[in-house]
Amino acid sequence: MTLNQLIFRNFKKNFKHYYVYIFALVFSVGLYFSFVTLQFDPAMDETKGTLKGAAAMKAGSVLLIAIVAVFLLYANSLFIKRRGKEIGLFQLIGMTKGTVFRILSFENLLLYIVSLLMGVLLGFSMSRLLMMILFNVTGIEDVATLHFSFAALTQTLIVFAAIYVLILLMNFIYIKRQSILALFRSTSVAQERVQRMSWFQIVIGISGLLLIGLGYYLSSILFSKVLMMQQLFLLMIAILASVIIGTYLFYKGSVSFLFQLVRRRKGGYLNVRDVLSLTSIMFRMKSNSLLLTIITSLSALAIGLLSLSYISYYSAEKSVEQSIPADFSIAKDENIPEFTDELQKEGIAYEIDKIALQTLQADITGAVSFGSGADNPFAELAEETEMTVISDRDVPSIKVGENEVYFMNRMTLLDSFLKFQTNGEVIFSGKEGTYPLLLKSISEETVLPTRISSGFPIAVVSQNLYEEMSRDLDPSLEPEFTQYTGIHIKDRSQVKQADEIFRETELRVWAGNESKYEEFTKQKQNMGMILFIVGFLGLAFLVTSGCIIYFKQMDESEDEKPNYTILRKLGFTQNDLLQGVQLKQLFNFGIPLVVGLCHSYFAVKSGWFLFGTEMVTPMLIVMLIYTVLYSIFGVLSVLNYKRVIKDAL
Amino acid sequence: MVILEASKISKTYGNKLNRQEVLRALDLQVKKGEFVSIMGASGSGKTTLLNVLSSIDRVSQGAIEIEGQNLNQLKEKQLAEFRKQHLGFIFQDYNLLDTLTVKENILLPLSVQKVKKKVADDRFNAVAAELGILDIQNKYPNEISGGQKQRTSAARAFIHEPSIIFADEPTGALDSKAASDLLNKLSDLNIKRNTSIVMVTHDPLAASFSERVVFIKDGQIYTQLNKGDQTRNEFFSDIIKTQGVLGGVQYDA
Repeated sequence: MTLNQLIFRNFKKNFKHYYVYIFALVFSVGLYFSFVTLQFDPAMDETKGTLKGAAAMKAGSVLLIAIVAVFLLYANSLFIKRRGKEIGLFQLIGMTKGTVFRILSFENLLLYIVSLLMGVLLGFSMSRLLMMILFNVTGIEDVATLHFSFAALTQTLIVFAAIYVLILLMNFIYIKRQSILALFRSTSVAQERVQRMSWFQIVIGISGLLLIGLGYYLSSILFSKVLMMQQLFLLMIAILASVIIGTYLFYKGSVSFLFQLVRRRKGGYLNVRDVLSLTSIMFRMKSNSLLLTIITSLSALAIGLLSLSYISYYSAEKSVEQSIPADFSIAKDENIPEFTDELQKEGIAYEIDKIALQTLQADITGAVSFGSGADNPFAELAEETEMTVISDRDVPSIKVGENEVYFMNRMTLLDSFLKFQTNGEVIFSGKEGTYPLLLKSISEETVLPTRISSGFPIAVVSQNLYEEMSRDLDPSLEPEFTQYTGIHIKDRSQVKQADEIFRETELRVWAGNESKYEEFTKQKQNMGMILFIVGFLGLAFLVTSGCIIYFKQMDESEDEKPNYTILRKLGFTQNDLLQGVQLKQLFNFGIPLVVGLCHSYFAVKSGWFLFGTEMVTPMLIVMLIYTVLYSIFGVLSVLNYKRVIKDAL
Repeated sequence: MVILEASKISKTYGNKLNRQEVLRALDLQVKKGEFVSIMGASGSGKTTLLNVLSSIDRVSQGAIEIEGQNLNQLKEKQLAEFRKQHLGFIFQDYNLLDTLTVKENILLPLSVQKVKKKVADDRFNAVAAELGILDIQNKYPNEISGGQKQRTSAARAFIHEPSIIFADEPTGALDSKAASDLLNKLSDLNIKRNTSIVMVTHDPLAASFSERVVFIKDGQIYTQLNKGDQTRNEFFSDIIKTQGVLGGVQYDA
């Protein structure tokens, strides 16, 4: 029998063991190819052009390569471990390591070709579906047609060729390192001996918890200090590092420690559930803690990103509402008729809100507290800041007293930098006089569009005071806007038509003139695109992490099959065994999920206000969906165990 | 008192066209406290017999009663329950769980019965002391020798005080010293605890430790030897002679 025959026979015989590996390959190729197809599709130009999505897509594809590579390397490591005996046997009958390596490489190549073909087909059909979803979330009305892209194919081939080389390298190192003896030795060597409960372990566990706590703490102050971009970046890296290392130490120290404590307490008297969950997990704790850390980080990252992007998408409408109160804003009086005349011509009924603005110097130090000490650059600004002042006559909802001031247009984003306190003193100064006023209330109600208020709160004073101030304006301040007109369309169904008219007038080239509808569509497209890419990546993370645990569990179930045989011979029923296995799955899938959810919660909490206006609902929705999808892998794993247990006797 | 009674048991494998009869209407009785060996050439049906006797496999025809309980009438779950309560096992390849320490392995059968921890500990200490494995109780199976593994396996078989223990080539993987050690301990325990043992073996030396040897050929009982008042050595040469007649290998005793 020649070597080639041997390879082919091996391949044929082992095919059914390969299916996990093939699945991993096909899935990865499909995922990557569909993503790249989208990237190259001409239909995407529309989204790309309008949304600068190209860069986002590119960043996404790089991240995707990383996920896919890690995933495939892991699948390969399991795969080659399964075949340790075979490799040992080849060497025993006199093959050199080089020959064995050639056999494996050739086999891998065959697998690769088959899976690439299948993956490309799968990816192509998947990208069509994805395209439809993309158009749906971004609100672009177009029929999803796709062309088979050879550029995408080439890129996929290049990427997977590179991964193939990586895998070869890994196999090479593996074969090189193993001795024949080690290959034959079963995988039953305990990875970690049950040690005497050492202080060292307790210390490791506790320091893990401390590191996680430190990461959480740092994340909570991340945006309350005003930091330079560089510092911000460093801090983020520090948070990531401390949380990830902390998680690893937590698994390695605390979990093993707790388990050992439980086991010791039982004094050797374990029931079958303990045998299949506790001891089995402990037996593999070394490889488990690394794996669990990876899964936890992946899940946390995915949930965090998904939550943030969904928060943006979810609050797109609300944030537009917040930044543009009326359907149309027009800054200058002379421009109004240009638009309203057209509206009248088309028979669209509307209402006009006019608000006069003036800008004064204000000292708000008495009414403000800073996120952190004196190094806050806002501290200086607070003594001399320009504020837009309007009269309470223009705000029907409130009535302001003589020596009082109300702040409106408060942005939640600003809260983390400086907080206003009611009953503080705000001193306005005109050209000559000063006006010390009592800050009565701060409201989020939007009176002026953000473009006009510059994102800073506006002050509302009584009509009398407003007039007094207007006679005392400091001419050195040259405010960009002195007036704001909001136009409300009475019939909501005509808003779109009005928007078209607004666009035709070319009013929007001037600062301060805005259409809420247009802004909303733009936001939706932007957010939709981001949501789509992040969603895609999140899904990739989810499936990858789910698959990794599933594969690992499959591997373990094969390893433990003899144990099930023994236990069943001893008289334990399939049900007894299944209960233990379910507990184990609960741990293996549950722990990284729970810790990951916890991590992502803190991550989202630290910066969600940069993305939108609503945190809880979108985050919970994302977490719920993620948990449900993730649980599917847990259920699949239990089913796999069920089959193995059934076959065991 | 008869503890195990197999009457006219047959076991066939395969389908109608390609039928292979492994056991043919075999009768066997084991009394309380008896130590029985089953011998025979490879393929004679020894292991199949042990499997059906120990309820791991089902018979095609015939009935097996252990302690008056007909195994045929029990469902899968009840069979498991029965094994757990009344049977003990020792296997050629030890069948210890790698993930458990020696002590945990031994205590495993007790965990399903509501035995108090104190009682379990006492029983463990007693049986482990008898088998000489007290000092390795906290080690894992991959850290101990084959003989120690098999003694662990034996301890596990005895700990829940089953009415009958099935041993499948328990000395098959051991050297002669370790094998004799184990067999001495087994027959000690057999006498002390009055537990019946049914052992499949192809080793005449191992068989000579028992009270009765049943020879099997082509799925039927070929002959039986009783030790009676003989010494072990006399019994041993008897066994070898019979084995020679049976068509096995000639030993030079």
